[in-house]
Amino acid sequence: MKKILIVDDEQDIVESLKFVLETSGYNCYTAFNGEDGLKLAKELLPDLIILDVMMPKINGYKISRLLKYDNKYKNIPILMITARSQEEDKLIGEETGADEYITKPFDLDEVLKLVEKYLNNENDGNSN
Amino acid sequence: MVKIFLVSDNQNIIERYSRICEQNSFNVGFSSDMAIIEEMIGAENFDLIIVDNGIKTLAPKNLITKIKSVSENTVIILLANNGEIDKSILKSTSAIITEDFDDNLISAAFNINLRMKNALTKLSDTNKDLADSLYRLNALYSTSSQFAGTLDKQKLIEFMIEGLDKSLSFALTCTLSFCTENEPVLILNSLYEISEELLDAIKLRTVLNYKSLFENSKNIPYTIDEKTLKVKKFVKYPANRFNFTLFQFDNMFSPIALGENFYGCIEIFKESHFSPEDAKCFQTIAQQVSLPLKSATLYQEIIETNKKLEKLEKLKSEFISIVSHELRTPLTSIKNSIDIILSGRCGQNSTSAEKFLSMAKQNVTRLSGIINDLLDISKIEAGKMDFHFNPVNIHSVIDYVKNALSGLAKEKSIEILTAGTKNLPEIMADAQRLEQVLTNLLSNAIKFTPEGRKITIRSELKNAADIIYNPCFSEVMAKLKGDYIVVSVEDEGIGIAEAGLLHVFDKFAQIENSLSRKVGGSGLGLPIAKQLLEAHNGAIWCESEIDKGSKFHFALPVEMSAVKGEAVSIS
Repeated sequence: MKKILIVDDEQDIVESLKFVLETSGYNCYTAFNGEDGLKLAKELLPDLIILDVMMPKINGYKISRLLKYDNKYKNIPILMITARSQEEDKLIGEETGADEYITKPFDLDEVLKLVEKYLNNENDGNSN
Repeated sequence: MVKIFLVSDNQNIIERYSRICEQNSFNVGFSSDMAIIEEMIGAENFDLIIVDNGIKTLAPKNLITKIKSVSENTVIILLANNGEIDKSILKSTSAIITEDFDDNLISAAFNINLRMKNALTKLSDTNKDLADSLYRLNALYSTSSQFAGTLDKQKLIEFMIEGLDKSLSFALTCTLSFCTENEPVLILNSLYEISEELLDAIKLRTVLNYKSLFENSKNIPYTIDEKTLKVKKFVKYPANRFNFTLFQFDNMFSPIALGENFYGCIEIFKESHFSPEDAKCFQTIAQQVSLPLKSATLYQEIIETNKKLEKLEKLKSEFISIVSHELRTPLTSIKNSIDIILSGRCGQNSTSAEKFLSMAKQNVTRLSGIINDLLDISKIEAGKMDFHFNPVNIHSVIDYVKNALSGLAKEKSIEILTAGTKNLPEIMADAQRLEQVLTNLLSNAIKFTPEGRKITIRSELKNAADIIYNPCFSEVMAKLKGDYIVVSVEDEGIGIAEAGLLHVFDKFAQIENSLSRKVGGSGLGLPIAKQLLEAHNGAIWCESEIDKGSKFHFALPVEMSAVKGEAVSIS
């Protein structure tokens, strides 16, 4: 079963994403702040990470950068959740390496489609 | 009375000249002693000095040199009898009288020389006055140029005192200033150190002077008290000390005010008397400083207002940011929960549950649209909206928006038609922003059109001169020059009254309109569209008739040079 890590300080959002992804057959792990998220990402080596931008301690952009510049983790697809706030605008000038951006409020079905797109592609890549 | 001094040791001459002077009512004195003569010319101011060239008791040449060194303008007449005359003496004498002059001729010579002397004295006095006036004018001129060069109130007061010092050379000025600091302050500029007693006297006097200015008025600008008055002292020669009381000085006093604006008052002291010219000069400077003080006050107010505005602008940005982030996050949770239930993942829903959940979902979508609009308008207003200009085919923009909204139109059985010129040229634009504009116009049209009617999207190539518009848009439309692609969204909806046409592009205009409130929306869609089009050097306008429908048009310049082919930000 594919492993997905969901990192967001909003428990409700984590809950709903987890519910939809698990009912669609994915194995979900969750973290509620950036620090735990980064630690879990390195321990679990998930197949995909869903990452919120604005979080206490370490923000999503930073986590994304740290993972994408590390050969060990750089192939993990990252879906970034953004609220398009001005604090985020200030950060966005920097390279983040995220594969997709999802703007709040998002559509769960669309997130599901994106997850499928990345995880199926990876399957194709492995089988080739 | 004319005073004449005769230097001679000849009794005949003394008698003769005494007689002539008496006839002319001149006062005459005489001597032949050098020491006495020296004392006399040092003490008295003689109009004429007659020197006998034949005198034995002293050398005429030395005497004349002496007289000239004491008073250069003294008229000297030489009595040239027998004997040689030193040529250097001739240079210093105004006239020579010889033995053969009769009494009348001598009187005439005296009178002519006296008249000449008077004329010379007058001339020299006038010259001195002129030089004084010139100096004062120079001081006034340089002071007024200094006034014009600054908006700093502290400096203006300093320049005023400096100007007074230059033109009037005061011993002491007491300036009571209300405009340079938060509290009234007494600025003392003094030649010498001021004793405690003198300082107390000055303070008391200043307060009394100030109060006397407002004797007949109920509104005193500031309440001051000599005991608590703040003093700033500037002493030019602190080694010396004033030992006088104020009564030994001459003084002048003036308020520093312009109309109702009162900035302070000034009193100036000098040991000698002030002339009427001094008074004029003092009044001029004290009045002159009031106008720049007023400008400086206004300038300061403007700066303070600007600071407040900047702070407000920052608060607004922060507020928008909070709205954006703090509203989106809970909205996401609500939307996700509704979506999960609607998707049937938690089991089958009843028909009415589904109906109400759909209602909730629709309103979540609407709310997130409003948040997006708020964010957009704040970005545009802050000049932070980024545009990416690329060649754009307007037909693909129209097709994209038409398809995106076809579902919404279908719900109301509204037919969307396209019309106009095919194969319009590509233009430099930000395709995403154009889609945003057209989506807004089309969704508005759908909102306001009754079921079963038609909406037409027309696109044409037009010259600015051929565009017809309601006069209320003339300010916007007059800016258009050259060829434009004009896109129009024409509906058969409720229409807008003519008075409201221009205001539909104002922020939050919808909120005032009860009818549209029922239909919903942030009231920001059209103002955003307007700003986005202005960033393209384009324009938006509309025409409408109540109950017949509205036509919204926007124009985009065909000329590439109108917008640069790179990403630009608008401000």
